[in-house]
Amino acid sequence: MSGRPSLVGRVAREEWRALARNRVAVVAGLILAVLLAGSALLCVEQRNAIEASRERHQASSDRQFDLQPDRHPHRMVHYGQFVFRPLSTLAFFDRGVDSFTGHTVFLEGHRQNSANFSEARQSSLLLRFGELTPAFVLQTLAPLLVIFLAYGAVASERERGTLRLLAAQGLGASDMLAGKLLAHGGAAGLILAPAALALLIAALLGWAPPGPAVLLLVIYGLYLAIWAVMAVLVSSLARRSRDALILLVSIWMVLVVLIPRTLPEAAARLRTQTLTRIETDIAIHADLNKIGDSHDPDDPYFSAFKAKILAQYGVRRVEDLPVQWAGLVGMEGERLTSQLFDRYAREAFAREQAQNRFVRGFGAVSPVIALRQASMSLAGTDIESHQDFLDQVERYRYAFVQSLNRMQVEQIPNQGAGEDPRIAAANWKRVPSFAYVAPDVLRLAGGRIAANLAVLIVWLVALLALCAPVARRLREDAR
Amino acid sequence: MALEAVGLEQNYGTQRVLRGLTFSVRAGEIYALLGGNGAGKSTTLNLFLGLARPTAGSARVCDVEVGSDPAAARARIAYVPENVALYEHLTARENIDYLLTLARADTAGALIEEALDAVGLVREAWDRRLGGYSKGMRQKVAIALAIARRVPVLLLDEPTAGLDPRATADFHRLLETARIRGVATLMVTHDLLGAAEVADRIGFLAEGRIEAELIAEGTERFDVRALHQRYLQAGAAA
Repeated sequence: MSGRPSLVGRVAREEWRALARNRVAVVAGLILAVLLAGSALLCVEQRNAIEASRERHQASSDRQFDLQPDRHPHRMVHYGQFVFRPLSTLAFFDRGVDSFTGHTVFLEGHRQNSANFSEARQSSLLLRFGELTPAFVLQTLAPLLVIFLAYGAVASERERGTLRLLAAQGLGASDMLAGKLLAHGGAAGLILAPAALALLIAALLGWAPPGPAVLLLVIYGLYLAIWAVMAVLVSSLARRSRDALILLVSIWMVLVVLIPRTLPEAAARLRTQTLTRIETDIAIHADLNKIGDSHDPDDPYFSAFKAKILAQYGVRRVEDLPVQWAGLVGMEGERLTSQLFDRYAREAFAREQAQNRFVRGFGAVSPVIALRQASMSLAGTDIESHQDFLDQVERYRYAFVQSLNRMQVEQIPNQGAGEDPRIAAANWKRVPSFAYVAPDVLRLAGGRIAANLAVLIVWLVALLALCAPVARRLREDAR
Repeated sequence: MALEAVGLEQNYGTQRVLRGLTFSVRAGEIYALLGGNGAGKSTTLNLFLGLARPTAGSARVCDVEVGSDPAAARARIAYVPENVALYEHLTARENIDYLLTLARADTAGALIEEALDAVGLVREAWDRRLGGYSKGMRQKVAIALAIARRVPVLLLDEPTAGLDPRATADFHRLLETARIRGVATLMVTHDLLGAAEVADRIGFLAEGRIEAELIAEGTERFDVRALHQRYLQAGAAA
């Protein structure tokens, strides 16, 4: 660009005036603004309602656990505990995978249950098209508005014959193109404004973390700028406005609809098959059998474990132990099964990660993929944030079960406990409740966010780099 | 000399559009360039506007070599295309203001009003959007732009095409006004009668060069019958 700011600015100003005087464009812009502001308000309300409901259920579940009567601790291990995943504050902006992953986990001994009650399972198939969140509006609908506003930016000058008139006034093609880019970049900024306002208010009120909120604005700004530049470039190359519109809508369908929806399917098919829940249970059971059977007196693993415990307490028979032997075996069994659960969970997560990496690799093909990944990461609603929740839950589950097992070891007599040994109900209040620590998304997903941000920047820079040859072509067209 | 073409040649691939075109237009003179389709009229305008570079020869505007300084040359030219292309969503006043800004010319409101007044556009239409204008009214806005730019050279591409007789007569009066102000006008046209009425000289363009040039003489100015004959000969040669 040759850089005559006043001329570039004047071209941009006239383009804005043209947009402002286009009634259809104004109405379309207002509808999107209302949709964006409305979705932000509704989603804040919805997010708060969901969060309050989960808090209420968590408190109720904790209270019921605490109110259990005198019982054998192992019965409490199987009575279990429910934990509910709190929603991140920025989930109002982008619900991410939260609707699909489930938010409730039932914790018990010897089992690692997955999260249940996803909204996708309880809602209609329409949910899979996309919830009306600000993220959905900006990812899917806003590019259409950008296209609608910009498809005729240059093509209509060519159709009208004003391209030649502008050249005759001495306006360089690069200045004209820069003016159009500035105008439609600004229009994209205006489209983003309601969402920006919602995010900034949330950050300023201390309700949402400011870093991720600002970064969300940056990535959505880049995304809409990509569409604005793409639309102006296509408009510059097309002979007629109509051709530009058809081509841009086709590009939108491929980048926004087709690729993001077909790639996860392709990833699932191309990558190794994930084990089903039943297959995983069978595999864990087989591995447990390989470790040993605590009821078999000749089992080498548990024979060694028994010898170690007897030596530790300086006794010769389990009956002479000052603590309950069955409880100790239960604790060791829990330790072994938890190790297996962890291993299987890590392997399953690694498979999911590989699939995600496969999909992310296509961020170079469609900026929507990079945007969605970064948006979910920043909102704390991506699969990694969910995995972080599951990790915290599993650590808690292990501590929870082992604390009950320890009560059995320490409070149930090793000998002569009777047919129905119990410990006092007051013990249940000593078991700590689950306290979820929301992860710092910039720490948890900093690398991924940076990579996706880089993809968006590369897209924008690559498109801007095309402006020079397109300006040369415009110069030819002005003849 | 306000406009000067010296040995201009222009090739597009194997097609030779101009083959040594030479002519000139003085300040205060109206030069009509007549020729059939494909004779090279629009190419000639493009070369003066610096929108194309000649294969050989030179085009000069007020002694500025267009090839070496197209911006300076364009700053001295006002151009009115065949199909007046202006912005429908803008008013006459806004159109002129915008295009004057792009031409880095004076955009004073009084100057614009004076130009609109000079072309006889009714005052009520000045602040109306061009969407509802007739072709003649648009033509007037384009000429007003040319006047407001206060440049020494006016290039007109088929200026009276599609105008009714009254609008054509109005337009010719505007050209007379420009001539009095010392503006050099080059108009490429098919309109023999129009050229005969206002031009000081008429050049017949055929096969990329001036085949013949006639100069206005006496009160009759041109012999229209002879002009027609010349035009047909030039067309046959093209």
